[in-house]
Amino acid sequence: MNCHEFPLAECVDGTLSPADERAADRHLEGCPACRALVADLRTVRAAAFTLDRRQPPADLLNRIQSRLTSEPAPRGRLLAWPNTRGAWSVWLAAAAALVLATLIGVMPLSRSAVDTTETEPAPALDGTALVDSVEADLQAAEAHYDRAIQGLEQIARTDSGELDPQVAAVLQKNLQVVDQAIDESRAALKTQPASSRAQDGLFEAMRTKVALLQQTVELINEMRKGNQAEAGRLMQNLSR
Amino acid sequence: MASSKPSGDLRGADLDLAARIKSGETGAFESLYGQHAGRLYNLVSRMAGSSADADDLLQDVFLLAYRKIGSYRGDASLGTWLYRLAMNHCLDVLRSRQARMGQVTESMDEPDAVPVATPAPTLTTVNRIDLERAIESLPPACRAAFLLHDVEGFGHNEVGDILGVSEGTSKSQVHKARLRIRAHLGSRA
Repeated sequence: MNCHEFPLAECVDGTLSPADERAADRHLEGCPACRALVADLRTVRAAAFTLDRRQPPADLLNRIQSRLTSEPAPRGRLLAWPNTRGAWSVWLAAAAALVLATLIGVMPLSRSAVDTTETEPAPALDGTALVDSVEADLQAAEAHYDRAIQGLEQIARTDSGELDPQVAAVLQKNLQVVDQAIDESRAALKTQPASSRAQDGLFEAMRTKVALLQQTVELINEMRKGNQAEAGRLMQNLSR
Repeated sequence: MASSKPSGDLRGADLDLAARIKSGETGAFESLYGQHAGRLYNLVSRMAGSSADADDLLQDVFLLAYRKIGSYRGDASLGTWLYRLAMNHCLDVLRSRQARMGQVTESMDEPDAVPVATPAPTLTTVNRIDLERAIESLPPACRAAFLLHDVEGFGHNEVGDILGVSEGTSKSQVHKARLRIRAHLGSRA
């Protein structure tokens, strides 16, 4: 056995078979470098095992428990559950409305995205027509988003199973961030109507908003199916 | 040492505790905390590098455990399940911190790049403060395997189970960590 063949890690861990251990010992007898290395690594291992045991601060459990008071029960409701047949129908209607609004909202964006990649030359538009076209698409999409959001908020207010406040707050915050990005992109597009970069930025922000709404719809659907694990995963995504 | 595959009695006890937490029984969550917080804190505080971060990390781990307790099926012991949550969370936090700082993060399964074992250091005694600093200087995945195996005393199969890697990867990460620590301590001697 030479130094390259020497089973260093196993020797330090003491997991060699008796036969391998005898062979390792024979090598160590004639190799001061490996002997020193094994001794050092065993010293590291022993020192690590005797490191101080650290203890959490005494009040940490209380801090965690106070956070838990604002948590939904683990297998309970991430969103409050509708408890009547009527309430279910309202939730399902909300989900359906959001799906529809999202799909309609995506259409003009998809069309615009396709326009930029078509190999056939598109009919030439002058600058004003281009801005008008983009504006019209965006206004249509915005109107659908707004209606969907308003519908969801209205349902949350009127139905007893309103959105969990934490979820609603996070969703609201995320939507505000996306809305801000949309506003900024729109402002950039106004100053540079022909800028493909400004258009891409705007469409990207809109697509993010679509994705956010789609996740909300998915969450509602998973809650309806009683799939807590998937609903929890979606909740985490929405909370980011 | 927590076993990764619980025996019948242990599995029953773990499943019972998980069910009691799910049902909101008074004292059940405190029981989970009492059983595991000390050891988990020992681990996350050395992963985090500072006690303030460790408090936050342990808090996050128990909040995550509370939220996910419904997904516990008793396939592993509750301790192993908690360690898995804890290490995943610690590694996520450390990697995102590194990413923000523009550092390259290493993968658990990266091709083995064991440091060359030079004959230089000969460690007769190890200063604990130096050892703590050497552990802090390890890359996160390497540090995780070392802490679980050499500090907490888990076997390589359990380390692999907790970190989601093979036993061989655990062995190689721990070995790599020891060599790095030796080099670190040797440079301070």
